[in-house]
Amino acid sequence: MDSFAESTDDVLVAAAATGDESAFEQLFERHRRQVARIASRFFAQREQIEEIIQDSFTKAYFALKTYHGTHAASFKAWLAQITVNCCYDHLRRARRRPEQGMDDLEDGGTQEFAAWLRSHPADVETRLISRDLATKLLSRLSAEDRLVLTLLDVEGFSVAEIAEVTNWSISKVKVRAHRARAHLRRVLQRYL
Amino acid sequence: MFKKNRQRNEELDRLGKTVLRFAAASEEDTEAAASSPFLFTRVRAAIAAEQRLQEESGSWLSMILVARRAVPAMALVATLAAILTVWSARPAVNGTQAQADEEGLFSLLDPGVEQTVLASRGLSRDDVFNIVVDRNYEVKGK
Repeated sequence: MDSFAESTDDVLVAAAATGDESAFEQLFERHRRQVARIASRFFAQREQIEEIIQDSFTKAYFALKTYHGTHAASFKAWLAQITVNCCYDHLRRARRRPEQGMDDLEDGGTQEFAAWLRSHPADVETRLISRDLATKLLSRLSAEDRLVLTLLDVEGFSVAEIAEVTNWSISKVKVRAHRARAHLRRVLQRYL
Repeated sequence: MFKKNRQRNEELDRLGKTVLRFAAASEEDTEAAASSPFLFTRVRAAIAAEQRLQEESGSWLSMILVARRAVPAMALVATLAAILTVWSARPAVNGTQAQADEEGLFSLLDPGVEQTVLASRGLSRDDVFNIVVDRNYEVKGK
């Protein structure tokens, strides 16, 4: 692996595409934190982030041949695109699981949630509760809504960047963002 | 009214951003996930499993491709068989309709059954003719 320490990403991709495992391991070492950071915007659990890292690099491995020489953007941007798509797939799968819903929040946590929305939690314990509540609340949004809002408001992507990452048209991103924001407002309004 | 609505929406949007940020993992969890031991081993195992899956589906795919090539040939053979069946079932082109009817009634073309019956009883055609004439005579006499 040390032989590739000074190599550029493109050289590593070329080597990994021919089956050089140490080159791919070097790419993994360089970019796993970036992948984890993107995954952490969508998923709070450590296990979920690890799963996204695993899936993203597995997909990237099989797509290496399509990257080299044809992709204008850097390997970093290309990998980010794969990671975002992985997150989107996982969000969609999570939406299909009924246990991921907000039923328990509706049963007993409404007051707690409303109080949290008005406060600004600072201590670790409150922040952990807040994360749990926020995750439950956001499970009300569709995978597309969650994706576009997270990329816009948390990652700070522009509409054009989201369009590039998701392979959606710019107008679709705009419409989706507008609808997602309106949907989130309606969800929040119930607790205020 | 509009101003109040706009203010309300801005407040909700601000809250929405807070909710989105809170739903994200902490820096510590993110770092722990990124530096998790055996993560690359897991990636390698996932790649190997995917490769196995692709090989299996590849063999199925090649079988489907072969089958797809065989389909037109089989269709051609089936069409030919259908044409031959229809052609062989048609009545003979030579001979009139009346001849065909008579042949159906008297079975002149196929006297095999009649000959077999007569041979087993030791009767000739003339014997049979005489029996029939005598029987008719007796019937008329009565």
